[in-house]
Amino acid sequence: MSNQVVFHAGALEKEGDTLVQIGFRCDHCGKTSFPVSELCPFCSFEKGVKTRLSNEGTLFSYSITRVPVGPYKPPIIAGYIDLPEGVRVFGKIQADIEVVRTGMRLRMETGVLWTEKDGTEVVGYYYVPCENKNGGKES
Amino acid sequence: MREVYVLGIGQTVFGKHEEKTPNDLGAAAALAAFKDAEISPKEMQTAYCGSIFGPATVVQATLIRLGISKIPMYTVENACASGSSAVHLLFKDIAYGVCDVGLAFGVESLSTHHRKFGKALIGIEGDLQAKLSLTMPSFFAALCNRLMEERGAKLEDICYPSIKNHKNGVTNPYSQYKKEFTFQEIMNSPMIANPITTLQCCPQSDGAAAVILCSKETYKKLNKKTHRPAVKLAASVISVGGPEDSSYDPLALETNIRGAADACEMAGIEASKDIDVVEMHDAFSGEELSAYEMLGLCPPGEGVEFARSGAAALGGRCPVNPSGGLLSMGHPLGASGVRVVIDTARQLWGEAGANQVDGAKVGMAQMLGGVLTGIESPVVAGIQILTK
Repeated sequence: MSNQVVFHAGALEKEGDTLVQIGFRCDHCGKTSFPVSELCPFCSFEKGVKTRLSNEGTLFSYSITRVPVGPYKPPIIAGYIDLPEGVRVFGKIQADIEVVRTGMRLRMETGVLWTEKDGTEVVGYYYVPCENKNGGKES
Repeated sequence: MREVYVLGIGQTVFGKHEEKTPNDLGAAAALAAFKDAEISPKEMQTAYCGSIFGPATVVQATLIRLGISKIPMYTVENACASGSSAVHLLFKDIAYGVCDVGLAFGVESLSTHHRKFGKALIGIEGDLQAKLSLTMPSFFAALCNRLMEERGAKLEDICYPSIKNHKNGVTNPYSQYKKEFTFQEIMNSPMIANPITTLQCCPQSDGAAAVILCSKETYKKLNKKTHRPAVKLAASVISVGGPEDSSYDPLALETNIRGAADACEMAGIEASKDIDVVEMHDAFSGEELSAYEMLGLCPPGEGVEFARSGAAALGGRCPVNPSGGLLSMGHPLGASGVRVVIDTARQLWGEAGANQVDGAKVGMAQMLGGVLTGIESPVVAGIQILTK
């Protein structure tokens, strides 16, 4: 089995067999932030609870990049997804370009984002459309 | 606070200077400013340099070539507002009496950067969202999509600042591009991130710009250009975004709105009535279209109509980027924040030649930069207001 690493420290945590996004809900201001930082980014309070973020959200805004970016080949669909916790997450979107539209419902999945030259697989999250009828390549 | 005056300005032509180092470019711009002011570099009491990619200690390496040493000097990095930050810190030093006269310059050689790191879209190193493909073009492409959905902008509106600014750049001797483009030519250029095509993006550039600022007393003593009306830096603000949540709207970016409002209050002016000319960060055509309302040039939600009315064109109510802006002038990252200040000074002095805004008395210089995880992006704005 090839070596796997998560693309960014603290972006994903293991929960059973699955990788999940963990945010921080502040005891003082009640806001949830992601990824978890040293103190609440809204009010600098230290105490709060780590909380699993919802898997589903709404697409706030998106772009389709037509040139390579780092390890990604075009077209690169990516956007900002608003989660019920009030968190806005940026991620790549795996879907047919024709179905991507502002306001659509998206679901988080995890998988290999790219493979390093030494074979290390870099794992992260991306989003797919919630409904099959919208053309999402659901796995 | 003491009043702060513009004593002299200088810059290189913006464009490709592959044979020149950042220090070469910075020294050329600073020397041009001393020649413009007709004063000795030895008068300087402090110096600031804005630069994103350096090299380290660029300020000392540049200024020793002009005989400037043994004074406090600093290189500052603040994304595309690096040059604005150099101007701002010098403004503060003079306004609060720390010193009487100093130099702010900005420099960037993207040719040098590309030789080291390759030419590609730039994401912020180590940033979570950058690792997931976020770049400046993809951020502003999403913003353009919102302009079309929320403000009714058409592709023609998105391209308008690029058409206007390339036209302005034709007669600017310092401009990287000197060519007009039609809507069709802009849309036919290679697609970067829908709807942003290559000709809706500023080019990657090498260049430097410099400004000498001083107190009123020093201005009286050192000013040799007595034919010029005295131009003041009446306000200077650096504003930084807050933590991002799902309520944030990039069409109502607080760094722009609060920064512009604070600067206008400091200068004692009303943006929509008093500003005669704006030089601003138009790294992407749609970005300029989105900024008219945020900078207070028109009421919220009316930026597209402001553009369609011709208000932002030369001869309009408030010309925006009469220099050609980043889109035509070019964008040597650290230099641009200084360049917008010196172009605004040129306008107020009446020295902008074919690009002159008739009767300009009040001008705004704005820069905006940095897209990052967890912060309302772009993360920092620099706004200066000049008056005469």
